[in-house]
Amino acid sequence: MLIRPVGDDFRVIAFYLGRIFLVIAAAGLLPLAWAAIAREWNPFGSFLLMIGLFAVLGVAGVRLATDESKLNWSHGMVVVALTWLIVPVIGAIPLLLSGHFGRPLDAFFDAVSGLTTTGLSLLADVDHLASSLNFWRHMLQFLGGQGIILAALSIFAGTGGITLYFGEARDERILPSVTSTARFIWAVSVVHLVFGVTALGLVGWLVLGFEIDRAAFHGLMIFFAGFDTGGFSPQSTSVGYYHSAIFEGFTSVLMVAGAMSFGLHYALWRGPRRAVFANLETRTILSTFGFTMALTLLGLAATDIFVSVAGLTRQGFFQILSAHTGTGFSTVPSVELAGWGGLAFGGMAIAMALGGMGSSTAGGVKSLRIGLTIKTVVNQIRQVLLPEHAVVGTAYHQSGRKHLTPNLIQSVMTISLLYVALYLLGAGMGLAYGIPLQAALFESVSASANVGLSVGVTDPSMPIPLELVYMLQMWAGRLEFVAVFSLLGFLYAWARGK
Amino acid sequence: MMRALLRSLMASGFLLLAAPALAAGEISVEELMEQAADLAGEEVTVEGELVGDYGFRDDGWMWTQLNGDVYVREPIREGGSPHGANTGIGIRMPSELAEGLDPPGRYRSRGPVILATGTWKYHDPERQGESFLGVESLVVVEPGRQLSEEADWRVIVSGALLISGAAATWFARRRE
Repeated sequence: MLIRPVGDDFRVIAFYLGRIFLVIAAAGLLPLAWAAIAREWNPFGSFLLMIGLFAVLGVAGVRLATDESKLNWSHGMVVVALTWLIVPVIGAIPLLLSGHFGRPLDAFFDAVSGLTTTGLSLLADVDHLASSLNFWRHMLQFLGGQGIILAALSIFAGTGGITLYFGEARDERILPSVTSTARFIWAVSVVHLVFGVTALGLVGWLVLGFEIDRAAFHGLMIFFAGFDTGGFSPQSTSVGYYHSAIFEGFTSVLMVAGAMSFGLHYALWRGPRRAVFANLETRTILSTFGFTMALTLLGLAATDIFVSVAGLTRQGFFQILSAHTGTGFSTVPSVELAGWGGLAFGGMAIAMALGGMGSSTAGGVKSLRIGLTIKTVVNQIRQVLLPEHAVVGTAYHQSGRKHLTPNLIQSVMTISLLYVALYLLGAGMGLAYGIPLQAALFESVSASANVGLSVGVTDPSMPIPLELVYMLQMWAGRLEFVAVFSLLGFLYAWARGK
Repeated sequence: MMRALLRSLMASGFLLLAAPALAAGEISVEELMEQAADLAGEEVTVEGELVGDYGFRDDGWMWTQLNGDVYVREPIREGGSPHGANTGIGIRMPSELAEGLDPPGRYRSRGPVILATGTWKYHDPERQGESFLGVESLVVVEPGRQLSEEADWRVIVSGALLISGAAATWFARRRE
């Protein structure tokens, strides 16, 4: 029997949502200060309004407080799902008031895309956007990549932290407590921020010849979008704007760091480094990257687009790395990407669909699931081929020796199939609107796997239902379904329960 | 009034000077991007606004971006409506050619609109596959200028009121 949620359930949810909104309101002070320093008064006003709304909702939620220890698994999942819906609604206000969007839904689309670290955008004329708004867009990717909940958890410790932590699609706790894990993740990010912005800023200033403040600005934006595998950029030509192999090299390092699980970061910092290469996840991502890279390069080599090996390698490597890590940066325009057919298209689409590592800032099915799926299939084949009573080993290495259990296999297969269904949903919707199959599939996978590469389908003139489906894909793909289904279940129980 | 007249005369003069460049096959940035492969190695002339940064490099080249979209003529800051993403290409020119150009287009500033003639380098093997226009000559069609921005005080006051209300409620609760 379905049990209808009661007042206490709503109060607990409102309390935790309130706390999170207060953290986001505090985070909003950064773009507000940026706008004040840059004397961008229109964005300044819109940031003030956004912070005010977050603060009012936050205080209202916290005022409804009951006993905070009552947060159960279901409440936690609902809090996570709602956070990822409400934050972009309010976070879209500065974007909407900028005048760079034709309809409010488009601003919401960009906020969802930013927060989910997707990188698809409907923003018009980004090349003339206020610097504080650019900062906010990229900061949304940073908050989303790290995890908004994680940001809140590292500030307030609570008994419900573990539920919230797992609800945000993180499946490993690196340190004994959730709060210390959250703080470790932020420490890793801050170290990368310092090194990333310094390296990119110096390249911009000394190599590219930018003014020093602009070099630092570009460094910061590309760091946010690269390390959090988001893919926004301050210029419309993405990373192609910089025309620099060195800049692309440093950006690639950030993309790889962002697509690595924070558990792997921990192992590289603290543990024996050689052991990480024994992990199933590491081996899988190296194999799939090699495979998709080979496919793409072969496909491109078969065309006459690139006439030099150096050109083919540099351009092919960057696009495929961007696709596989789920970043979405590009050095070729979308109109050209749309023309990549055959193996090159296949390589890019597969790379996007597979995604990065679990518990990272990347999206997609994730390498560990791919590795476990392959291991399960191989085991099944071996079981058939070997004598009836033969025992097939189920062990695998992932931060120690582990075993494939039926529950684990079921979970991996379910999530993987849901991703495939999500990819097909958007592609089917695109086809229904007359978009060619290749483009419809590419864009759908890009949205669901939170990549952000586009072949031009994502455009302000796109049909609203298709826009809504892409938003749904970005949201569900980022949260890896569990929190989304929990919210749907909660709403159903509220409507039909007794 | 006089300034506007002077600007119009300057623009007309620049356009007259640009006549030979127009003969070199003027196309829009959008057309260039659509026919990028077909026009590889061809001399083309494109018009557009310089945006972003002027990257003066040690090797004597200056890199920047040339946009040829609707916002060149109808900036959003001046009431233009949003019509989607920018249409831009990378351009490279000798540093001395870029000297004296007005600042590039950004927020609250319109970059100079130029008519650039040069060779379209499509996935140039000498630059490991980068595509850009190697500008050999340029004509400034319209100088750059500042765009105005007026703060919306209603938004600022609304935000301040909301924050004050939230803070008052928060502190009232703490006192209880």
